Amino acid sequence: MGQLGYLFAANAFVWAGILIYIVSLMKRNQALRRDLELLKETLEKDSDR
Amino acid sequence: MSEELEEKEEDSEINWILWGLTVLAFSATVYAIFVYVPTEKQEGLVQRIMYYHIPSAWLSFFAFFIVFLSSILYLWKREREWDIYAQSSAEIGVVFCSLVLITGPIWAKPIWGTWWVWDARLTSTLVLWLIYVAYIMLRLQSDAGSMRARYSAVIGIAGFLNIPIIHFSVLWWRTFHPKPKMITPEGFGAGMDDSMVMTLMISLGAFTLLYFLLMGQRVRIEKMKDEIDQIKKERFYSN
Repeated sequence: MGQLGYLFAANAFVWAGILIYIVSLMKRNQALRRDLELLKETLEKDSDR
Repeated sequence: MSEELEEKEEDSEINWILWGLTVLAFSATVYAIFVYVPTEKQEGLVQRIMYYHIPSAWLSFFAFFIVFLSSILYLWKREREWDIYAQSSAEIGVVFCSLVLITGPIWAKPIWGTWWVWDARLTSTLVLWLIYVAYIMLRLQSDAGSMRARYSAVIGIAGFLNIPIIHFSVLWWRTFHPKPKMITPEGFGAGMDDSMVMTLMISLGAFTLLYFLLMGQRVRIEKMKDEIDQIKKERFYSN
């Protein structure tokens, strides 16, 4: 592998690492937000009964 | 408008500003690395890896410093808030310490002729990574509560003590890893060309902004988990 190949590999790992981590945070955030809203809705329905 | 709603809107505005600044800073970083800074004479193109390698190391050390600080504050005040900051920062630190351990060998191979040597700098960095992976595993394996937070805080504090060893390892022992070029006895950035210092500073700024962005997201996740647990507990006891 030439110098350009090493530079490309390092770049790819850094950007992939950052993007994968951001996406994983966003997914966890969305899933929890959904759970929280669902829980609140269920509680509201229960209290209306 | 309720106070909670106002606070959430303010948070969201800050979040968008932080996103914008981070994207701008990273655009400037990419421009500086690939267009602005000249190719280094001895190492050639591959030396540009430094502009990712050092900022990743800086970010992970800064993240572990926040773990250290938050852990001390948790042990002192016993407030969940500090435990959340420590946990969130540890995860970010491990992600970026992993990037240091990946970009380092990629840079080392064409320069040293080998991916890895067991010298003091590389080994102590690997130990640091292992300590905080253990910290995260401890948190995943044990139930939430003050006991988990206390044990984690102790590891979080003890793990940070490795960072001065990493920093001074290249001065205390003979290592393959080069000596610091930014903070030198001759002055700040004395061992580097001005354009290289400038590029590194831009990259360091971008990575620091990224830390705060990620930290905001990660802390929010933990707070939402707490809110869900709280609602479930209240519902359980009310039944």
